[in-house]
Amino acid sequence: MASLEQLKLTFFDECAEGMQQIEQGLSDIRDGLGAEDTINAVFRAVHSAKGGAGIFGFEGLVEFAHVFETTLDAIRRGDLAASTDVIDVLLMASDILSDLVQFSRAGEEIPEGFGAECRQMLERLIGKDGVGAEEEEAAPADFEDLDFVPVMFDAMGGDDDMKTYEVSVRPLPDMLKNGCDPLLLIRQLRQLGELDLKADGERLPDLASMQPDVAYVAWTGTLRSTSTKVQIEEIFEFASDCEFSVSEVGGFPPIEMPVPVVAEAVAPPLQPLDNSPNLTEEVMQPIAFEREAPPPPPRPAAPAAAIESAEPKAQARAAKPQATTTRIELEKIDRVVNMVGELVIAQAMLGQIVHDLPEGVSDRLSQILDEVVHHTRELKDGLMSMRAQAVGTVFQRMPRLVREVAMKVGKKVRLELSGETTEVDRSIIERLSDPLTHIIRNSVDHGIEAPAARLAAGKNEEGTIRLSAGHRGSRIVIEVSDDGAGINTERVLNKAREKGLVAADAVLTEDEINNLIMMPGFSTAETISDISGRGVGMDVVRTNIQEIGGRLSLNSVRGKGMTIQFSLPLTLAVMDGMVIKVGRETYVMPMSAIVECLRPPRSYINNLVGTRGMLQLRGELVPLVYLGDLLDISSSSEVSGESVVIITDAGEGTRLGLVADELCGHQQVVVKSIEESYGPVPGVAAATILGNGSVALILDVEKLSDLAGDPVPGTVTALRGGVAAKVA
Amino acid sequence: MPNAVALKVLVVDDQDSVRKMTCLTLEQMGIRHIHEAENGVKAMEIASLQPLDLIISDYYMDQMDGLDLLRAVRGHPVVRRVPFILLTGRGDRELVVKAAQAGVNNYLVKPFTGAILKQKIEQVMGKLA
Repeated sequence: MASLEQLKLTFFDECAEGMQQIEQGLSDIRDGLGAEDTINAVFRAVHSAKGGAGIFGFEGLVEFAHVFETTLDAIRRGDLAASTDVIDVLLMASDILSDLVQFSRAGEEIPEGFGAECRQMLERLIGKDGVGAEEEEAAPADFEDLDFVPVMFDAMGGDDDMKTYEVSVRPLPDMLKNGCDPLLLIRQLRQLGELDLKADGERLPDLASMQPDVAYVAWTGTLRSTSTKVQIEEIFEFASDCEFSVSEVGGFPPIEMPVPVVAEAVAPPLQPLDNSPNLTEEVMQPIAFEREAPPPPPRPAAPAAAIESAEPKAQARAAKPQATTTRIELEKIDRVVNMVGELVIAQAMLGQIVHDLPEGVSDRLSQILDEVVHHTRELKDGLMSMRAQAVGTVFQRMPRLVREVAMKVGKKVRLELSGETTEVDRSIIERLSDPLTHIIRNSVDHGIEAPAARLAAGKNEEGTIRLSAGHRGSRIVIEVSDDGAGINTERVLNKAREKGLVAADAVLTEDEINNLIMMPGFSTAETISDISGRGVGMDVVRTNIQEIGGRLSLNSVRGKGMTIQFSLPLTLAVMDGMVIKVGRETYVMPMSAIVECLRPPRSYINNLVGTRGMLQLRGELVPLVYLGDLLDISSSSEVSGESVVIITDAGEGTRLGLVADELCGHQQVVVKSIEESYGPVPGVAAATILGNGSVALILDVEKLSDLAGDPVPGTVTALRGGVAAKVA
Repeated sequence: MPNAVALKVLVVDDQDSVRKMTCLTLEQMGIRHIHEAENGVKAMEIASLQPLDLIISDYYMDQMDGLDLLRAVRGHPVVRRVPFILLTGRGDRELVVKAAQAGVNNYLVKPFTGAILKQKIEQVMGKLA
């Protein structure tokens, strides 16, 4: 049994789920999407929070939840209309409740008067002033004035010694073969009192397939007797091959079930007796079979037979399936993730050995190895899906943010969420919150115009921000778009010139100007408001996203709004990589960064002045970067017929051709962070262990493209030796 | 005088924390046979499978609430005589009236202490040994 502390944790988890339900429900109602059940669900969630808080002794939480609940109850009963104003107050109340839960969870004192304003608003809604509420608080926990006398269990007994039992006799198929006769048992049963049985021929097969020594018929009915249940059960004590059940039917008048009992409960007509073989017929004869005229039920207690005991079970099956979940500590899953990582490495080593074996020997082995590879992949995917969490957990925090910021700056903004169920690894979820908060705050504060300005521009007074998520290949794409004013290009350009980020005479396209806001150093202390300034920290956002392997792109149309999109890898622990060789060194490149690989003929390379060479690819010029130069490895620094060009997507739509010497193949690699030991190294994302046991660095393609302009040879070289020593 | 150790109790509540807390309180009373269900439908399933001496159920549940469960129990041939205690909120007067009509044995207002729970059980089952 769980301890009190564990139960409290469970309670807080429930609260977190409840808060989401409340917020979602209220938003739905506000948008006119709420069904009748929605307000009930919100009410139940608040009620549960209150109930649990009461049990675990969080008084402040109980009191606020109580007022909240009462208001919801008024709406539920139709005493209070769910107008937008009312819902806004309720949404505020849900924020306060959420804060109160946080205080309780952290074990902090609730600040004096916290949420008092909101509480008064709620009380005004239900037409109650503070004094009335006080009275309610003082209400006794018992309804003293209610004429309720607890019913003693003994008082529920029958009125006479004669009891009615429900009996069922079901011989197992082998009963007759074992020399037992169900009829004898039934005769004994009859000696105890009035027996009223009905035969159940449901198990009777076709005449052709019927076997004379198999017991097919079962009986159910009632027994009225003064005997006790134990005495009845004694009869069947030694009849091991016969299922028997007896249960007492109370002397209560039957109470209607909430679920109507349909006609199915009436036994189907029995098959004509002609079908029965002699033996069965003989067995059945002594018992009133009465297939022509079934007798009326003997006494009022009998209708109970109409409600078969299987009924609730059938009902349970019919009920909508419930999600069954279990809570596992993250740490446990992480241990298994590590284990799978080791498995992937061991498997790669095995693959290497098999590869080196002489042909003929390796055939069968490699076949099995393929299977192992397949299973490992599935194991990894399954495990990752366990670690995965819906982005909804982050998205859910945004409506509140939008409400608060919008209220502060006096704007009307609605937030539309979609794709909340899109799942992504937990480690990514955790690092998604900050950048997303920042972008959305920016959107409300600067993207969306003030109501008057919007009306003047012929737009709806209420601005819209759309936050969506979806899978695209092995990445998740999150998009924030608003229908605001977009980026003020002139102002951005002027500011960039001021700061010397752009040459005074440089001519930039609109896209290039828009992307300036993400440049480091663009935003500084010149804060436009206390909430955010457009561009404040956008470079931080970009860095955050890039740290988790994400790419950010931005699209703004002046006067129409802007869209910020970022794509992230689904997992950070194991990834698909392309093993490449540069000189004698082996590197791994994330598959997700690779657009294509090719071995271009010499004639396709143009040596333009000021560049390291350009590859002519289907009419497009792609700048080439020699990995050998960049990583300071002696390698051919010219594209020969042997070298490979890897076309990568370096983010923001730019492409880059990385020149390597050899492609060794595609494999799953386990990502081992080197940041803890070496700090961030430009151009290197992490390290991994290859099949032959050697360590390879995983290249960070986006950083590489930055490096290409300003290479720092030596950094990576120094790392190569060091990492090999440490990781291995 | 019923023996707490022998008493078989079914606790029905859709809120894990509260249900487990109730179970914990029952355990502290010496009750060892405790079944749990998270809604009325599950409760009926459990009740029809094994003998029970007492059902303690919350009212608010999304699949078959406490009152519906009480009515289902009272209309069920096997479990109709099992004592039933309904958990209610502070303001649920009407509910108690309805429950009384449906044949509830006792009610218990949340939040409750172990002492009150015991008292309410003993009002129905007799003093626990």
